[in-house]
Amino acid sequence: MPLGTSSSAVYIQNVPAGTHSSQPRTPTLVTLHPVALFSILDHYLRRMDDQARVIGTLLGVRNDSGEVEVRSSYAVVHNETDELVAVDMEYHRTMYELHHRVHPREVIVGWYSTGSNLNTYSALIQNFYTQETAPHPAIHIALNTGVEEGHQPGVKAYVSSPVGVHPKPENCVFVPVPCEFRFHDAERSGLDLLTSNSSSPLSDLDTLAESLQTVSAMLDRVLGYVRSVLAGEVKGDPAVGRYLMDTFGADTGELEKGGFRDSLQDTLMVSYLAELVRSQAEVSARLALVTAS
Amino acid sequence: MAAAPSMAAALAASLPAPQAAPAPAAPTYEAIPASMAKVIDIEAEIPVTTVQLDGIVITKIIKHSREAPSATAHGLLLGLDLDGTLEVSNSFPLPLHGGGDDDDKSTKSVARYQAQMLRSLKEVQSDDSVVGFYQASTMGAFFSQALIDTQAIHQDKLRHGGIVVVHDITQTARGNAAFRAFRLTKSFLDAFKKSNFSTPSLIDHQLTFSTILEEIPVEIRTNALLSSFLNTLTTPTPSPLPDASPAEASTSSLPPSFSNLNLGAIGVVRNLEQVNDALDSYRTEEGNLAYLQRQIAREKSRADAYVAKRKEENASRVAQGLAPLPEEDVSRLFKIPPEPSRLESMLLLGQVDAYGKSLAGITSAGLVKMYAAKANSDI
Repeated sequence: MPLGTSSSAVYIQNVPAGTHSSQPRTPTLVTLHPVALFSILDHYLRRMDDQARVIGTLLGVRNDSGEVEVRSSYAVVHNETDELVAVDMEYHRTMYELHHRVHPREVIVGWYSTGSNLNTYSALIQNFYTQETAPHPAIHIALNTGVEEGHQPGVKAYVSSPVGVHPKPENCVFVPVPCEFRFHDAERSGLDLLTSNSSSPLSDLDTLAESLQTVSAMLDRVLGYVRSVLAGEVKGDPAVGRYLMDTFGADTGELEKGGFRDSLQDTLMVSYLAELVRSQAEVSARLALVTAS
Repeated sequence: MAAAPSMAAALAASLPAPQAAPAPAAPTYEAIPASMAKVIDIEAEIPVTTVQLDGIVITKIIKHSREAPSATAHGLLLGLDLDGTLEVSNSFPLPLHGGGDDDDKSTKSVARYQAQMLRSLKEVQSDDSVVGFYQASTMGAFFSQALIDTQAIHQDKLRHGGIVVVHDITQTARGNAAFRAFRLTKSFLDAFKKSNFSTPSLIDHQLTFSTILEEIPVEIRTNALLSSFLNTLTTPTPSPLPDASPAEASTSSLPPSFSNLNLGAIGVVRNLEQVNDALDSYRTEEGNLAYLQRQIAREKSRADAYVAKRKEENASRVAQGLAPLPEEDVSRLFKIPPEPSRLESMLLLGQVDAYGKSLAGITSAGLVKMYAAKANSDI
């Protein structure tokens, strides 16, 4: 799941010839967890009036295949003027230590900033974070909030490489890395809650009803398409036809061969049991109040 | 839960005294505009009627709950209240407690952690007033001694008494993120302060497990920036490649999911086991209580018998014209044990009920799904 506008560009990494086992791999993929993303947006909302952009530290885990999972982030105080840039390193350290106590597996992997302009200061901050993440290369996530005119909201990830004959901290090349949005399946429903129109959590049956309605609407759309193809109004797309056949050809054989009745009986039994337990508990709680009187 | 009182103590130590903030009244305050005068209450007089959770809080709680090794993830909620709505705008997790040995040490370190975190958050213009805490639970069973203790302390110390937000991991994994907000009822708090949970006290306060906590409606809020960003994520974008297959023709970062239509009833067995376990521990607790009750009854009857015997003896002595023996203090001779606390058994009953409820929820959704899947062939 890519973040932001997709492009057909191919990401190229210059991996030095010959694999050095001592040298860690350059990240080939950056994944961003919703918590990190939302924290950045929240930080941007709470910025000072005179701050053009905000920066912060990204925390996460790396795995062997060169993938960097950004799991969370925190804001860092920084100050940028025409002459200088200052990052509150002490604050950054304190926050990392605090964070480390709750999530011991997450380490510093890089930094974020809002806005999409990469300048000399970006290179300097990148240089600082490279020291923090050594020996692994630091990643940089540039998040465009989309509030400025002419800019699409989106997220881009970069790694840096030094440039020039004599590498200087204020010079570097930001090489783009693919960036994806990733979360655990179990966390999906939380995001659904945020994207849904309702302002309060729904009951299980309500969400179920909503999903069923969506499915029914989708079936109507497909039916409409198939009918118009049959009537000859639209030329059928063989690829779509194949997908439809695969989807609707799903085997429900077991359900029809008595499986339905068995499982229905089980479910009803469990449901009865659950209600029984609940009413017993209620009776017991009431009885505790009358015994002594 | 050996760590429970210590966590409560840690919270108590680190929470600011209520009303401490507005005390140093700076003389140059701007006048409160008339439109806001009604909704600003310095004395915390407007009762909290709804809890509003920010999008970031939702994701943070879900992430922490899922990653925590056991269902004991808890943390603090930060925010402000405005006109009866408690706006929770941020949260941070608290570290898990160690064993019981270094209790005092870990209590202090948690308090230090908390103070430091609040200070750090303030530096980046985040809200830094504690309004409650959150607790993860499985299968809807959140009644526990620790939760009650912590909330009781909060209700004492915090403005508006604070709230506890309970997050159900199991229900979230099944495709419906569950968040509920609670606070302790007045009658329970009254009994709790006297730490008296004997039967007469329960009757006085009309306490059952369902009257320990009162629920406050929860609202979800996403700020404009977040919802616009989420909107971008859910909008499908056409593929840049010229002839992409229909499956890849358009992609979005957050495609719709239908995981809650999954037919398999996840966790029914586990849930049944938990109902069983909860019932077992409830029976053990009831056994203990019954034993204590019998002991009290035995001691009482012995004391009564002694008093009756003495009275009889005195009556016969008076009849014989002798001076009666002094009526001794019975309570010194017989130690009548105090009435046992019924809090534990009440909480266990609450657990049983919660497991039963979650089981009923799973099955009712399961039935609907089964009929939906069956509908394609003739029943």
